[in-house]
Amino acid sequence: MPKKSLILLFFITPQFIWGQVQFVKDTLFASGDSVVVTATRSERKLSNLTVPVTLINAQTIQQTGSIRLTDILKEQTGLTMTSGFGAGVQLQGLNPDYTIILINGEPLVGRTAGVLDLNRVSLGNIKKIEIVKGPSSSLYGSEAMAGVINIITDASNQTPLAASLRMGTYNTNDINVYNGLRSKSIFYQGFYNYYATDGYSIRPNSNNRITTPINRLSTTQQIKFTLNDRTSLLLNTRLTEETIKSNIAVSNGGVTINSNGNEHNTDANLSATMNYHFTPNLKTSFRSYLTNYISKQDLLTISGTPYNDLLNHLFKRIENQTDWAIRKNINGIFGLGAVWEGVKSSRYDSEKLRKENTIQYGFTQWEWTASDKFIIIGGLRFDKNATYASAWSPKLSMLYKLNASHKIRLSIGQGFKAPDFRQLYLDFTNAAAGNYSVFGSAQAQKVIGQLSSLGQIGSLYNNYYLLKALEPESSTGMHLSWEWTPISKTYISTQLFRNDITNLIEVQQVGTYVSGAQIFSYLNIGRAFTEGAELEFKQSLSNKLVLSGGYQYLITGDKDQIAKIKDGTVYTRNASNISTRLTMSDYVGLPNVSKHKAQLKINYSNEKGMFANFRIIYRSKWAVNNTNGNEVYDSGDDFAKSYYSLHSSIGKEYKNGMAIQMGVDNINNYIDAIHLPNLAGRTYFINLKYQLKYKTQK
Amino acid sequence: MIKQLFKITFVLLATTQMFACSKSETITTPVVTVSTKVVTDLMADTVLGIAANGMPYSAGKYTFFSLENNTIVPSTDSATAKWDLAFMSTRILTNGGTSGPALGGAFIYTGLFDDLKIIPADSIFKTDNAPTYAITTGSGKGWYTYDQLTSLITPLAGRVLVIRTASGKYAKLEITSYYKGGVTLPVSASDIEKLTKQRYYSFRYTYQSNGSKVF
Repeated sequence: MPKKSLILLFFITPQFIWGQVQFVKDTLFASGDSVVVTATRSERKLSNLTVPVTLINAQTIQQTGSIRLTDILKEQTGLTMTSGFGAGVQLQGLNPDYTIILINGEPLVGRTAGVLDLNRVSLGNIKKIEIVKGPSSSLYGSEAMAGVINIITDASNQTPLAASLRMGTYNTNDINVYNGLRSKSIFYQGFYNYYATDGYSIRPNSNNRITTPINRLSTTQQIKFTLNDRTSLLLNTRLTEETIKSNIAVSNGGVTINSNGNEHNTDANLSATMNYHFTPNLKTSFRSYLTNYISKQDLLTISGTPYNDLLNHLFKRIENQTDWAIRKNINGIFGLGAVWEGVKSSRYDSEKLRKENTIQYGFTQWEWTASDKFIIIGGLRFDKNATYASAWSPKLSMLYKLNASHKIRLSIGQGFKAPDFRQLYLDFTNAAAGNYSVFGSAQAQKVIGQLSSLGQIGSLYNNYYLLKALEPESSTGMHLSWEWTPISKTYISTQLFRNDITNLIEVQQVGTYVSGAQIFSYLNIGRAFTEGAELEFKQSLSNKLVLSGGYQYLITGDKDQIAKIKDGTVYTRNASNISTRLTMSDYVGLPNVSKHKAQLKINYSNEKGMFANFRIIYRSKWAVNNTNGNEVYDSGDDFAKSYYSLHSSIGKEYKNGMAIQMGVDNINNYIDAIHLPNLAGRTYFINLKYQLKYKTQK
Repeated sequence: MIKQLFKITFVLLATTQMFACSKSETITTPVVTVSTKVVTDLMADTVLGIAANGMPYSAGKYTFFSLENNTIVPSTDSATAKWDLAFMSTRILTNGGTSGPALGGAFIYTGLFDDLKIIPADSIFKTDNAPTYAITTGSGKGWYTYDQLTSLITPLAGRVLVIRTASGKYAKLEITSYYKGGVTLPVSASDIEKLTKQRYYSFRYTYQSNGSKVF
């Protein structure tokens, strides 16, 4: 494909990722001078941002001994890991579907039931992770409804060669090799990661592994050419291959059927960016991006019936972004882009036919630094889609620095999530469980019409007649935060947030077959909200000890259900199984959401390269199943118990480039096999690292 | 509020005082025509075992029940008007239409059992017309929901089965559990337990013997 690569050479990653900042020293406090790119799609100091951002640096990642993205995200305020269809992340109470995951500004694709499995992302070469909370569709379009997580790999090229080996419980081994080259005009870095685990079974007396054996190989290659003072070119590839040995148990009416086989996933990303400076005040970047996620499951049931599942998601994007500093205190950004997206799946009517969608979009953002104390940013984006309704996404945010130690931020924005291919095109009949069918909304009426003419439809519900082109789910979010740094050793930040979500797409029954089996499709019907408060602090206890922590209080609810409860038409059962009217005091809101989440960390580090940390993560109970005969989650339902887990790690970095680290995760050995399949019991690890260093590095 | 309570107490005291003074034979105690009965663990074609192919099997027979007499009726009487309801797994028949020779019918009322004091005049009783039944079958459509993930059957809260009996009288019935022991099994129960302990109905009902629609 020489033509394609040629085209790719021309379009590229905006310089916000690859900016001139070579190396940002890890600062003790988040209020330091770290540079953030995700919040504004341009380099801005953390202290000048108008929206709430969490920054996780490489040092934090290394010292906690994190190897997969999930490891480090679960220790962040406001983030909760979910299980089911891989490990996803819930941000301020919104499901994994609503957070866009970017690597160097480019989205990862390949979601299963809305969830991106974050175990796919290795942390070995990561420079920092930026988390923007609140709707950010004004810059990033679909999926940026709860927020944005941008993983920025290390292009700073600090070392020509580094290697590390990590060994842990359950034969969990992780090998990283990192190599770099640099000359006056070329920066290159390559990264290779091999991860393998035997998986584990935390259910007693069960051969069924909760986490199945995995082999995963991933590599990233980055090259930056500085062509001249004004032009630079960046190429970036990333490839992850994984094989998972599957032993899936499907239950139907209490009968469990086991299937064995392999799941093979390939995630390939390729991007090319060209940056050009017209003048110091005017620069532009062209970027192109291609990604393909292929997931294949080849299983055999014990009776010998094959079960194959295929998902192939191809995503291409070209984009241009121009940054113009019109005046010293007014900065504008203009962007234009186009996306072509196609999915093939064995769960659609034909796995050979690719379902397609195209999006054209444009966005602009204006930043006005009114004074030393006041910055205001307004942004707007328009997404025009071929297969569903278009979306406008505005956002307004501001920062007011009361004085040297107090900052107030306020942001109001709209986010949306486009209907995904599954919601539009799914054509799935579950032969293993009662022959129920789910049809995507784009074809439901057609397919059901055909079935009806064949005399297979038993009845049609009113929902069937309500089927129409799905609209994007949308949210309006408001974040108000207050940051206080009374003395240089103390940092306190509080945040209040509220998200109102409309047009939620939900699975609804639209009819039945003659046999009585149910037929489902998707409709825009739900209305929900999430609101809460966050508190984060850091306190330097001495020049070696730092105590930090965070807490999130979260309330969620389904607005339609609340209206019904207030009407007195929702029922529950009391202790003796007698129906009673549900009151608001027993309503718990959305499932899988905990009211309280907190973490506390004490970190020791000295000038000799020695470090140690001890972390506690707490999560209060969350509703998992409706068990008391209504469709609302209330205090009579099935909950996962609240829990905490303790983690610790200790290590030393030597001047000659050697480093050694040991750690224990889940020291208290908390296990809940059903609700927390991703939380293994107590595990140990040891990590050895060797790093060659450039001699003259400032 | 306190003032009001005080007033009420005062009135109550006054009335008891009055009754105390009057002659005892003038007090007419209301005639109790209805009482609520509780049935537990009514077996409804319970699972007998698991076949070699992994599927559960059962006898495939209905359990016939008389609301009037509060007893199980032998299946040899299935063609008579001696029974009002017949249970087999999640399906409940009424004695009428395609199911039986008598006057039976039913509809499902949404609300609380205790709040249903009189069957509304505009209520429409349905009769069985296989494969549709007066007591609608299917998850979420009649009296229960079935959760695909947990394989558990849970009676819907706030549903009252309003029954017209074989003899054309009326009853109201609330199903409280589908599992042995009268309590829905926990999600964590084993698959085998979920199979073998299901199809045990627990319910409470009120039967109005005087033929009126008032409970």
